[in-house]
Amino acid sequence: MTPNLIALSMFGAMLVLLFTGQRMFGMIGFVAVVAAMLLWGDRGGYDLAFAQSIKLMSWFPLMTLPMFIFMGYILSESRLADDLYRMFHVWFGPVPGGLAIGTIFLMVLISAMNGLSVAGMAIGATIALPELLRRNYDKLMVTGVIQAGSSLGILIPPSVVLVLYAMIARQPVGKLWLAGVLPGLMMAGLFILYIWIRCRISPELGPVLSPQERAQVSRAEKIRLLRAGLLPFGIFLAMMVPFVTGYVRLVESSVIGALAATLAAAVKGRLTWAVVETATRQTLAVSCMFLWIILAALAFGAVFDGLRAVDALKGLFLEDLHLNRWTVLIIMQLTFLLMGTFLDDTAMLVIVAPLYVPLVDALGFDLIWYGVLYTITTQVAYMTPPFGYNLFLMRAMAPPEITLHDIYRSIVPFVGVMIVALALVIAFPQIALWLPETLYNR
Amino acid sequence: MPNWIRTYVRLIDAINYRVGRFAMYLLFVLMGVMLYASISRAAFTPPIWTDEMGQFLLLGYFMLGGAYSLQLDSAVRMDLFYSRWSDRTRAIVDAVTILALIFYLVVLLYGGIESTAYAIEYGEKRRGLWQPYMWPIKLVMCIGITLMILQSISIFFKDLARARGKELS
Amino acid sequence: VLGQAPIKWRLQTYAGAALGEHVVKPAVDSFNKIAQGQMEIELYYADQLVPTGELFQAMQRGTIDAVQSDDDSMASPTEVTVFGGYFPFASRYSLDVPALFHDWGLNEIWAEEYAKVGVKHISAGAWDPCNFATKDPINSLADLQGKRIFTFPTAGRFLSKFGVVPVTLPWEDIEVALQTGELDGVAWSGITEDYTVGWADVTNYFLTNNISGAWIGHFFANMDRWNELPEHLQELVRVCFDSSHYYRLHWYWAGEARLRVEGTKMKLTSIPDEEWAQVEAAAREFWDEIAAESETKARIVSIFKAYNETMDKAGRPYRYT
Ligand code: NA
Ligand code: NA
Repeated sequence: MTPNLIALSMFGAMLVLLFTGQRMFGMIGFVAVVAAMLLWGDRGGYDLAFAQSIKLMSWFPLMTLPMFIFMGYILSESRLADDLYRMFHVWFGPVPGGLAIGTIFLMVLISAMNGLSVAGMAIGATIALPELLRRNYDKLMVTGVIQAGSSLGILIPPSVVLVLYAMIARQPVGKLWLAGVLPGLMMAGLFILYIWIRCRISPELGPVLSPQERAQVSRAEKIRLLRAGLLPFGIFLAMMVPFVTGYVRLVESSVIGALAATLAAAVKGRLTWAVVETATRQTLAVSCMFLWIILAALAFGAVFDGLRAVDALKGLFLEDLHLNRWTVLIIMQLTFLLMGTFLDDTAMLVIVAPLYVPLVDALGFDLIWYGVLYTITTQVAYMTPPFGYNLFLMRAMAPPEITLHDIYRSIVPFVGVMIVALALVIAFPQIALWLPETLYNR
Repeated sequence: MPNWIRTYVRLIDAINYRVGRFAMYLLFVLMGVMLYASISRAAFTPPIWTDEMGQFLLLGYFMLGGAYSLQLDSAVRMDLFYSRWSDRTRAIVDAVTILALIFYLVVLLYGGIESTAYAIEYGEKRRGLWQPYMWPIKLVMCIGITLMILQSISIFFKDLARARGKELS
Repeated sequence: VLGQAPIKWRLQTYAGAALGEHVVKPAVDSFNKIAQGQMEIELYYADQLVPTGELFQAMQRGTIDAVQSDDDSMASPTEVTVFGGYFPFASRYSLDVPALFHDWGLNEIWAEEYAKVGVKHISAGAWDPCNFATKDPINSLADLQGKRIFTFPTAGRFLSKFGVVPVTLPWEDIEVALQTGELDGVAWSGITEDYTVGWADVTNYFLTNNISGAWIGHFFANMDRWNELPEHLQELVRVCFDSSHYYRLHWYWAGEARLRVEGTKMKLTSIPDEEWAQVEAAAREFWDEIAAESETKARIVSIFKAYNETMDKAGRPYRYT
């Protein structure tokens, strides 16, 4: 068998095994070690798997992973975002579609305080969604808003996906996070623009709050609610200021963030033992899920590297097919999007990154910039059926009147917006690169 | 199911539950070490041991917590087809495929034992100023992987029972 | 199983891709071209197949066939590790390294030490100087006080005598650590490497005083794999790996001079010679400390001493002071 054929069989075997529904890390690891043993068995191919755990250990920013996951769970379990939601609700009520727009703002703030999409989804589905439905907002629109908004969690820093991407691409996490800021805000802006235009055309999709209801909230109450917005800013600043000024490192800033969120919950009187226990347990569960998958994927990637699969792929595209590197990049993103329709975001992370990232590097593209493209595509993968983590979460959390069919349909326009954002970042790399380049080349 | 299998499943589940609950709280130890590192860096000279200690704690956290996370059923599955199968079909497929998962873990453990033996034989130390010995963390990792294997076997028995239309727990 | 199939070796270097492009890839490419399909060396950069910390044992067991590294980076379990990364003032010029290994008996010691642990020492000969690249200027020894510096363990142990705080971080995190101020500088390489890997972009000053002697680059192979090679391929491996050392010698030598004169990213500073003499004196004490640790180390230190005395006596162009 030629190395290319082996690589192809590995990929095929992995897909087949993944579709059996067995735990992903086991299936990826199995294919990796079997291939390693067939290839190099008598020469000790079997210790390739374990060596990857030392790679994991040496990769310092990985420590942020449980911290940001913990932070997200503290936020959602202690219901810290309730007041925040009330704030946007009251302040944006008079605008057509205002509550939906406010929900996007809420999601941006939540995204700035945790590394995954789950917290945003949980808060959105349990706090925002019932309220929006009660106000006769269009159910398709608001369902889409929450799914799209929560997906910002992995693009706006801190981001667990970018931490893991950084590990595979061997790029500095700080730069990647900064690169995610403007595209994240731009995407939020595009969501808002879309909602605003839709509600302009069809006001019944997002009715304004009635004058009576608006009158119920006093000015003093409005100001008081504005203060609720200070809390997340406080957490965000406590985390980011010492990091950006160089007093603490990335990992330590993540610890400060986790503790600041815990402290905020305590100040609000919502830090019960049940909250701590649940957050700690969920953090272990989710961290282990990620770390075991990454461990297996690193072994898979090392075998792939050993087979020179990336060189072969590059040769195929550039020499055999005579494509230019931009065409290759576009093809990659398209296949990536296509895979995204049947893979979920975690699968994308482990299957696509080890294969595509070295190829992108070999083609001479900027890996920081690609990190943003990668994350946006992962966001799409996270949203698109039949596989999408959010689809299952939404189904589990949303009120019964939202059917699975609604969930599927609701995401269509938002996925469109995301693809527009993806195209913009491809066409204008400075959207991603301006901030890290400006801040890091002082 | 024979009695020894029931005993095995009960025993392993109980051990891994306890080890996992212990590992779960290592998160706070990790936080403490990193917090101490940042305070001392700002206030006086940075301690030389915090980075490596943090890395050891993180590895210990997820290696020792792995078996418990299997109990919590947090591992991701691709369930395009899986979600549509009957419980019986799932159990049958699971009982077969988990053998592949166990195979991976056994290979991982084999590498771990070799690496630990090397670390003990040559007194391997971690690079850097602190230079701690590597064998303790490698040993912890081997223990964690072993517990994962034992838990997976327990899950295999449960799958087998479910495939025969019974429950084991 | 192999039959007529070409022999394949997997070689992993300690160097990342940017550096490896210069210091190892040309030699491997030449080898593959000359070997005409009889044998092929596949090159992997730092951490690609196994992490650098596991590199030695992976080679010992045969997961990796060959390695390019210094003794220190791959944490070799030998007596000679301490001399791998910037053993202070052991050598001054690039040619000192091959001279010490080929003519002064270090080859034999290294071969013997590595054979004990099942590894073939193929050759040594590459050289890097070790200068400070920092955010703030260093004009005197006092300026070193409290500086947080990324460096090799041995150099760090020595430099801490002058108030330097050695910091260990993963190599990939250095650039960012310099930007965030977590590090004040690096003492890891010469100016050629500072420019090549991008550290020149995130530091402002380059100290011309050469803090320590040299980094020594080696090639190693798994003993069984080496013994399995027919003699002519063993010879070809040696010659091609020597060409890697040779490339590094001229690449670094030319780069050090050119970038000091023409480089625009870093300003040069110097510590006066009289003051610098303190560092050299401290290095001699440090040598004695190391020599006291074991018989092998004492043997190597005595070779360093004899070599440097000879060079001093030989005068110009071997030594100017
Ligand atoms: Na985020
Ligand atoms: Na999907």
